[in-house]
Amino acid sequence: MSDDAPKPYVSKIDRRTAITWIGIVGAATAAGAGVVVYGPKIGGQADARGYGTDPNLVDPARAPWPRLLTPDQLQTASILADYILPASATAPSASAVGIPDFVDEWVSAPYPDQIKSRTVIVKGLSDLGRKVLKANTADRAAAMSAILATPFFISFRKLTIGAYYTTKEGFRDIGYIGNVARVSDPGPSEAVKAALERELKKLGL
Amino acid sequence: MASEPFDVIIVGSGAGGGMSAYHLTKSGLKVLMLEAGRHYDPATETPMFNIPADAPLRGVGTPDKPFGFYDATVDGGWEVPNEPYTVAEGSEPFTWWRPRMLGGRTNHWGRIALRFGELDFKPRSRDGLGYDWPITYDDLAPWYDKTERLIGVSGAAPPRGLLNTPDSPPGCLMEAAPPRAFEIFYERAFRAMGIPVIPMHGAVVTQAMEGRNTCIFATPCGRGCSIGANFQSTTVLLPPAMATGNLTITTNALVYQVDLDKAGKAKGVTYVDRKTGEHHSVTARSVVLAAGSGETARILLNSKSAAFPDGLGNTNGMVGRYLMDSVGLSVQGRFPALEGLPPTNDDGQGTQHTYVPWWGYGKQKDLGFPRGYHIEIGGGRRMPSLGIGSYVADDENLVGDALRDTLRNRYGSGIGFDGRGEMIPNDDCYCELDPKVKDKWGIPVLRFHWKWGDAEIRQAAHMVQTFLEVIDRLGGTPVPGYETDGRKAISKGGEMIHEVGTVRMGHNDKDSVVNQYGQSWAVPNLFVTDGAVLVSSPDKNPTLSILALAWRSSDHLATLAKQGAL
Repeated sequence: MSDDAPKPYVSKIDRRTAITWIGIVGAATAAGAGVVVYGPKIGGQADARGYGTDPNLVDPARAPWPRLLTPDQLQTASILADYILPASATAPSASAVGIPDFVDEWVSAPYPDQIKSRTVIVKGLSDLGRKVLKANTADRAAAMSAILATPFFISFRKLTIGAYYTTKEGFRDIGYIGNVARVSDPGPSEAVKAALERELKKLGL
Repeated sequence: MASEPFDVIIVGSGAGGGMSAYHLTKSGLKVLMLEAGRHYDPATETPMFNIPADAPLRGVGTPDKPFGFYDATVDGGWEVPNEPYTVAEGSEPFTWWRPRMLGGRTNHWGRIALRFGELDFKPRSRDGLGYDWPITYDDLAPWYDKTERLIGVSGAAPPRGLLNTPDSPPGCLMEAAPPRAFEIFYERAFRAMGIPVIPMHGAVVTQAMEGRNTCIFATPCGRGCSIGANFQSTTVLLPPAMATGNLTITTNALVYQVDLDKAGKAKGVTYVDRKTGEHHSVTARSVVLAAGSGETARILLNSKSAAFPDGLGNTNGMVGRYLMDSVGLSVQGRFPALEGLPPTNDDGQGTQHTYVPWWGYGKQKDLGFPRGYHIEIGGGRRMPSLGIGSYVADDENLVGDALRDTLRNRYGSGIGFDGRGEMIPNDDCYCELDPKVKDKWGIPVLRFHWKWGDAEIRQAAHMVQTFLEVIDRLGGTPVPGYETDGRKAISKGGEMIHEVGTVRMGHNDKDSVVNQYGQSWAVPNLFVTDGAVLVSSPDKNPTLSILALAWRSSDHLATLAKQGAL
């Protein structure tokens, strides 16, 4: 690997999550598998349950379904997510806010929409992984720019953007300044109104 | 807590049941409220400042939580575990939203609190279509006044005198929310089309109000409100009712039958405990059904006896008939003119700050459809959701800083136009008991029949054309996916969650199931105070009217109870 190779992706998991994962690893080891198998029973089978119809909304538990992505797929997700949203001068990269973990959570979920996107994304990550995991910088970039028009890339980018901009870091980057208690709603500022009037004038309104 | 003997049993704890409990307990009557769902406490269960990243799948809707993870709906949505319903073969689609929680759908509702107008109560007199109510707007107006003052409704504005769009008297409404940038923006297009844009009436406390917290102008109302600054039965109606000492609430009590005594009067109800499966009968001097239009009809239809072999009050086959919903559809637009505006906080009261009331009165012949719709318009720089990736087109090969800049520029430049229109009741829309299917406890379930009329289909097509014109005038482009064919564009039956009718009020026992006070023609100590009693389904969202009618009916019940007339 050259010096500018992507850093190995480290999951952005909290302590509670880590404990759950240790449980999975332990179970797999106890079963004699020897390796950690990520969610082999996913897809309508017993342990792939959803969060139910009455989950705790105030302090949501980690999504309960086993994760499907292999370490290589997770690493590929990290490389691609950071190709889409690398760190900017003022905002962290996609991998730094845990987007690969979100992709894993998404493709592993036992709900119809997510199951539908699973095939495309998991296969896309496997295919791309073969081209980027051990490649040099130039080949890696070429492999990613070659897939821009594919359904895999389009879905993956939508997910990455959506997942990134629904974090606090994403809010800051896109300019969402709400979600704070206020004593009154003053409405838009004079600057906003003035900018709007200029646009309305152009439209003849 | 009150104990037996109860004066009144109320079935349901939403808008109708909550208001009934509020007034009846305050009138000194001992009330037992039976709620099919679990206890629910907005103060501790509302995810006020949570962001999508805190929720599984960034909070998107799933079959477990169809309106999103944070939506204030417990154990329900389009399907409720163990409690199926069916749609008849050959019917158009119908879908039925039910929660299983104290306060019912008032926990998550849109908080749009519009009064019906004078024409809405007399549709048949107006143009020969639909049916007249046994009351006029003037009969209900004082109850609208009281309801607005009680629950807290924003939207005060100088009287406009628009036809069939009542102004509230001074003192009823609180301050209107200031229009946000996108609301100032779209108003110009409507103005150019000669269409008024006026303050929304939202059930949100926007100024100091005794006994209530004021809105903090943040967090979506659909999650509910932990500080009780919007209207929920659980924060506004049930606490004062409990404080009287006259209210007992039993949760997980799924009522399926009204029990009659030998004289033919209601003596109580029977329910199944959803947790234990045990059946219980409870008694009272009178019974109020407010379980929601579907469930209320189901209870009556399942209450069979020698006197009522086809269901209680159904001797003339009226129960379940005249089921209505609102016509609904949505078109989204993107507007370059809104790109790059300076960041501003567009959170605010939970409802839209302004809206477009129906403007086509007197133009029906030219329009080609008889009844109108209002427009609810959403936009602004609200908290990003997972769908924000759709601000970039699939074929825009943007990554990195170019992608960040593009998103920052376009964020907040989308506007969604939602129509909500009147439906005329028709003979093809009704519910009945399914002859075969039963719920987990062996109780027959509802089977729905649905067919939109031509009036609704043509109205839907007009909505789309209006929205496209507005988008065009604003220099925008519509987001693909909309339909211009009204039949394809129109919502499913029930999808607007405004299902009303089924136990309508009327002038006599031949044309209706209950009288103008929701009092059963057949069993005078049985009342209905939910949306089932509505005779028409105007474009205005029904909750405020359900509340006002429930208050009026409960007042009548309390008067009769005091006279010993029940």
